[in-house]
Amino acid sequence: MSAVVAEPSLTDVEMVVEEVWSSFLGAEDPLMIGPPSELQVGWSAAVTVSGEWHGMVSVELPTAMAEQVTRRMLCLDDDGQPAPDEDVADAVGELVNMIGGGVKSLMPGPSALSLPVVAAGRVARPSDVTEVCRFDASWAGSPLVVSVHVQSRTS
Amino acid sequence: MYALIIDDSRAMRSILRRIVTDLGFETLEAADGQEALDHLTAGRIPALCLIDWNMPVMDGYTFITNVRANAEWRDITLMMVTTESEHGQIVRALAAGAHEYVIKPFTPDAIADKLELLGLVAKPVPA
Repeated sequence: MSAVVAEPSLTDVEMVVEEVWSSFLGAEDPLMIGPPSELQVGWSAAVTVSGEWHGMVSVELPTAMAEQVTRRMLCLDDDGQPAPDEDVADAVGELVNMIGGGVKSLMPGPSALSLPVVAAGRVARPSDVTEVCRFDASWAGSPLVVSVHVQSRTS
Repeated sequence: MYALIIDDSRAMRSILRRIVTDLGFETLEAADGQEALDHLTAGRIPALCLIDWNMPVMDGYTFITNVRANAEWRDITLMMVTTESEHGQIVRALAAGAHEYVIKPFTPDAIADKLELLGLVAKPVPA
């Protein structure tokens, strides 16, 4: 059985990200949509979906925003010190886990969600994948990119 | 009354801890199903377990099957709290012995509502 080649729409991804944000991060500072921006990637994370649909969902954000996400999710005081890398990796990983789970729920199943892979900098992507959806947003003045990659079609 | 929060993410455990503490629970935590089973075998028996599905070492589904295989733990209420939202997985978890299923992301009210339905939290009395 071959995997279904399908792509989530930008509206789908936007809806998923906004739901995650409003539930855990954006009560006071809502997520602002677009425009595409030059992003200095401080942290990134990815999950893969495998099964009836194959894809990779990733989140990229600058260090300052990753710190803010971490402080908000872990309820850490802003004491002027950087949050421990271990906490940032955990929070960014959970963020992509929820966004990836949301994207998975919109695609043909059954399929399985991987554990998140998190990196300081950009996570490595397989060479045979193509970006099919990119959602640009900003939060508290910092940019954020969520993208979906699927395996490149061969002719 | 104790709630055991089982999730490999410290951030998610922190979020759930704040919610259930506000609802009157004391909390225990575990980063995977095996660590949660270690709590139970050591005699730390909670009234409620909040269980993620995808975790390293032992996933939430396997944890549920282990708990339901032990008659001494039959009074524990098991609630999945996970990003896994496929109908087949929900049915599988409930068939294995989970009482409730919450899909991430969730609101504190969603958790409170489920716990009210399960009789673990009193319904607020209108003022």
